Amino acid sequence: MEKRHNSTMYLLILFFASILIMSTSLPVSAHKVIIFAWVEGDIVFTESKFSGGREATGARVLVFDTEGKQLLEGKTDNKGEFSFKIPKLTDLRIVLDAGMGHKAEWRIPESEIKEAGGVSDKQRAGESAQPINVGLSKEEIKELIEESLDRKLRPIVRMMTESQSKGPSVTEIVGGVGYIFGLMGLAIYFRNRGKKRHEVNREN
Amino acid sequence: MHISEGVLSAPVLITGAVLAAAGISVGLKKMDYEKIPQVAVLSSAFFVASLIHVPIGPSSVHLILNGINGLLLGWMCFPSILVALALQAILFQFGGITVLGINTMNMALPGVICYYLFSRLVNREKKLISLTAAFACGLLSVFFSGILVALSLLFTEQSFMSVAKLIVVTHLPIMIIEGIITLFCVAFLHRVKPELLGGIYGKAT
Repeated sequence: MEKRHNSTMYLLILFFASILIMSTSLPVSAHKVIIFAWVEGDIVFTESKFSGGREATGARVLVFDTEGKQLLEGKTDNKGEFSFKIPKLTDLRIVLDAGMGHKAEWRIPESEIKEAGGVSDKQRAGESAQPINVGLSKEEIKELIEESLDRKLRPIVRMMTESQSKGPSVTEIVGGVGYIFGLMGLAIYFRNRGKKRHEVNREN
Repeated sequence: MHISEGVLSAPVLITGAVLAAAGISVGLKKMDYEKIPQVAVLSSAFFVASLIHVPIGPSSVHLILNGINGLLLGWMCFPSILVALALQAILFQFGGITVLGINTMNMALPGVICYYLFSRLVNREKKLISLTAAFACGLLSVFFSGILVALSLLFTEQSFMSVAKLIVVTHLPIMIIEGIITLFCVAFLHRVKPELLGGIYGKAT
């Protein structure tokens, strides 16, 4: 019994030592792809990353409409970025295929495209073009505001992408290990109970 | 090498799940009272190994540790890897619940194969044979996993050879690193706890 105890102890020490080494010297990083897309004007920008921050370069990007018809296809550049002109005013489903079974998708609803002004501007052109006292039409003001908003919001969008692509946190890692040891406890408990019941039956 | 959700078709997923379930039941049968802590320790090692990212090559690759899992646990690496993969899917969103079966299969089967190929050799007294076998075990388990992943992608990707080649090439550094890790683990266990290597081997035959 003592010996068994020892072997488990050795393994435990080995294991925790390796966690310690890993958490101090290596960047915590991982294995998942993410695609993030946003609309600016009539162009959709996408960024693809492996979680942990490494860009997914040369990966295929496919764009589908609501009926699942493929609208276009492209490849990410060496920064993991890919942009395309909105082909059609519809909900867009953007699928990233990074090969080797890595896949991710991002949806852009129709409303977001409309808000960004891409296709809808032309449709609403006839609506109200009366000048207000500055000498600019409502249209022009709208365009100006949208342009500057796009510019101002870009870093925030970027920040969101980055926070999305962060690797798992320490809490999750420690939590997962905790789960495993919890399960171990459960397994031992049930095995032990079965053994005891067996012994009791034998005594009776 | 986690396959994401929504890549594979239902027949492939179901085949993977059934095969994995078979492996798990064999593993659970073999898992007796004293083995449980060891399974748990190796399971957590597998769980955190996927966070160690190796920044070599064009893709995103990480340690797998299915070789040492298989070598020390034999069939018991099926339940061990299942638990680790399930937690990775839930906590890290690696892989996913529907692909759990096929992923378990792809990782654990090479472990079992390597167990049968190498556990005898690893137990040899001669250091050279034992350590070479350990290195080969770590290396080949990753290689077999790559082949299995390529096989499971057979029905979705264009060609088996190109996918298999891509996976094997991107995982070359991992194979070597895993080989070295397995070698050190075996060397360590030989010194401090040789019956850990021999004990399981004795039980299986």
